[in-house]
Amino acid sequence: MTPSTILRRHALAALARERTIALVAALFAALVLVSAYLGWSATSTVDAIYASATHWFEANGKPVPPNPVTQGSPLALLRNLTIYISLIGAFSAIVIGYRMVETDRRAGVLPLIGARPLERLDYARGKVSALALAVGGLAALAGVVGAATLAILPSVHLGPGDWARLAAFFSLGWLYMMIFGLIAIGASARARSETVGLMVPTVVWLVLTFVWPALTGNILPTAAINPISALAPAPQSAIFDLSANLLGPFSLAEAYKYLGAELMGYLPDGLPPRGPVPPLVVMMLFAAGSGLYALRGCLKLDMTKGGPDA
Amino acid sequence: MQTDTPAVSTRGLTLNYGEFTALQPLDLDIGRGEIFGFLGHNGAGKTTTIRLLTTLMDPSGGTASVAGCDLAHNRIALRRAIGYLPENVRLYDTLTTRENLRFFAALSRIEDARDRVEEVMEFLGITDLADRRIATFSKGMRQRVGLAQAIVHRPQVLFLDEPTSGLDPMGVRQLREVLERLNGQGMTIFMNTHLLSEVARSCSSIGVLSHGQLVFHDTIETVNARYGSEEALEELYLSVVPDREVAA
Amino acid sequence: MPDLSAIPTIALKDARIALRDRFLLAATLALVAAALISLITGTVAMRTDVATYMAAKQQLLALGKSLGSIAAPEFYPLKLMRGTIEQIEIMGAVIALIAGYRAAVEERGRQTLALILTRPLSNWQFLTAKLLGGAGLMATALAFVFALCAVVLALGSGIGIGANDLLRLAITWGASTLYLSAIFAVGFGLSLWLKSPASGLLYAFALWLLVVLVAPQIGDTMDPDNQVAGGVFAQLSIPKAEQTRIKQGFATYETIRNGIEVSSVTKHYERFTFAVLGIKDIYTGKALGPIWADKKGDAWFLILFTLGLGGLVLLRPIRADRLTKET
Repeated sequence: MTPSTILRRHALAALARERTIALVAALFAALVLVSAYLGWSATSTVDAIYASATHWFEANGKPVPPNPVTQGSPLALLRNLTIYISLIGAFSAIVIGYRMVETDRRAGVLPLIGARPLERLDYARGKVSALALAVGGLAALAGVVGAATLAILPSVHLGPGDWARLAAFFSLGWLYMMIFGLIAIGASARARSETVGLMVPTVVWLVLTFVWPALTGNILPTAAINPISALAPAPQSAIFDLSANLLGPFSLAEAYKYLGAELMGYLPDGLPPRGPVPPLVVMMLFAAGSGLYALRGCLKLDMTKGGPDA
Repeated sequence: MQTDTPAVSTRGLTLNYGEFTALQPLDLDIGRGEIFGFLGHNGAGKTTTIRLLTTLMDPSGGTASVAGCDLAHNRIALRRAIGYLPENVRLYDTLTTRENLRFFAALSRIEDARDRVEEVMEFLGITDLADRRIATFSKGMRQRVGLAQAIVHRPQVLFLDEPTSGLDPMGVRQLREVLERLNGQGMTIFMNTHLLSEVARSCSSIGVLSHGQLVFHDTIETVNARYGSEEALEELYLSVVPDREVAA
Repeated sequence: MPDLSAIPTIALKDARIALRDRFLLAATLALVAAALISLITGTVAMRTDVATYMAAKQQLLALGKSLGSIAAPEFYPLKLMRGTIEQIEIMGAVIALIAGYRAAVEERGRQTLALILTRPLSNWQFLTAKLLGGAGLMATALAFVFALCAVVLALGSGIGIGANDLLRLAITWGASTLYLSAIFAVGFGLSLWLKSPASGLLYAFALWLLVVLVAPQIGDTMDPDNQVAGGVFAQLSIPKAEQTRIKQGFATYETIRNGIEVSSVTKHYERFTFAVLGIKDIYTGKALGPIWADKKGDAWFLILFTLGLGGLVLLRPIRADRLTKET
């Protein structure tokens, strides 16, 4: 067994025993279920409103417009998942990434690991692969709940293309969560105190979710966490054109929501992505950057520090 | 305040955590003006006892008084009469020595807080540290400021939890001298420690705690008379504490 | 009459530390930045609307047509505060949580809590001082935010603001202080009670997610009008009267939706401040009297919630076996 495999197994076993991680994962699972319910409930409500409106159109001799629900993809039922992955999923990944290094440091085992015959790169590999598996577990959990919801609902029929899009959507969610988990690994490896290790990725996440969209497209914070309202076009003005061009390539949360909406079929017609860089490229660049940050943090990790006073 | 009562007196003082008994019924009297050395293995219950006597924790049973103040019914008066230095004290990093001491003096509600802080700093030889922030201090310097806050309000009974932990031999010696001077002014000192040599040199009476139970309590004269030498204390300790606790 | 001098002593010590370690500065700057970004982008968006209207007006006048066919945009400067309020709701709450965590860590890891609790003061006095110190910190940071917003509104909206607007901003500042003080109490309490302060912060974040983000988000998402881009009624082109009739058929659904929203203190804070500032259309331009009559329930919820949380923190005993746990 290679050193990184041993470290990965150990990290995953430690995670599995942590109550905080169990709590966060349970919260995530519960909210995935809630989002599935919300999608179903909201769709039936709009259906019922449409039915009610149809009577009125017919009674008044007006042409009946098409049902807005049936116009979109059935996958759009799960649109709230985009938001919950970006909220609780990203937060869970931050907690997992942060615990990866912090647990070793608090237990005082860093000097013991550092004195073993293994490279820092092995340590980084072990931790990052453990994060990838743990976050993969969360994405898979969301995927199973989502797929089960769609399979159970009688009015929803998915073709092979839809299933493929759904799989791509959960892969995208995994990548998004990984970015924050990697930032958390890097931050907790480099931070001088336990708190800073948690705060840095949390602040990055908050700024990308709530402040950046306001700058690039006047998307207010509560709109930023509504799957539909978040996809509003920016006001037509030279200032927003400029800010979207300058800041759009760094607007990770918007890139993710855009791609999610595109895959799940609820992207408003003709809505352009924010800024000149395609959203998928934005995500890939963030993934590469956060990976390098995590790697650098592990490679430069001070193995002499350990114990509760560290 | 009554002065004819013992400095510390406990009757059946107990602490349970569910099924686990951290402190078995403790009967202990420490006279005024004594330096009491409290010995015991790790986890014996020494810190717990200090925390109970300083009102930081509530006992599961029994009674206690410190400086004549009842632990259960007269906590505020009791807190007025005690000074406390926990193990590994760190204080407020961003405040200076003087600011830290003025803060704790104000909380102890002493009239001449400002003058008293200067006096205590001089007494402990830390006047040169007065305007420096705690963040830059070594363990020994922190310990001296910690001791200053514990005596700034002229307490009758001073509780010290492992005060020599982490100090170099010079620091240990300076601390011993300070404690002797404080004791000379009539202050009762209750000290948890691991160092048998310190107990032999400084203390007037000792108690040994094992597994939450007081297994020995007598004056240092009696100990010396019975065993005849300083090494006798080690013999005594080994005889009352089971092997596995010593190993711990 | 108990001696209460310990309360200002501890609160002033906290203020001194907050000033010295620049936390107050960092917290205020972060809040100001978040609030001003939303305010300024809102102002830019409004000016864009105005410019579009003016261009359309010029075009119509040049063609000799009436202006009745285009609606003039509304110019209520306080409406621009919407983004600021939302930033306080979300980012402000995070800052308050961290401030509460710091207030606990300041005492726990350094053993100073043990030193304070062996002084002649009651535990509730110590806790009251910490809570008041936190409320003071929040009030100061928010005062800067609202003062700057008032300046930006006066200069940036092109209309200026009057005494009545300032009064509304002051009321909003008070409500914001209450809201953030409640969140501070959550961060402080959990960081003081849990096994390690970092776990406290983690749990506080999880609670923040649920109370500040998820509950209002669920309510917002369940709104049928938010299900379809541009709104379901607008897309179907249904007249207002018919909309009202249709909505009546969904009363139970609406009750559940509202119930989820109002379980969160954030929503009460938002409803109250949106009404006072006239952000919600039905309150735009309305006097404060009728607004209070309508929204006093939200105000009382906010007040009682804050006092209740503060009371909970005061009543819960401090566990001495956790005093030495490091950060």
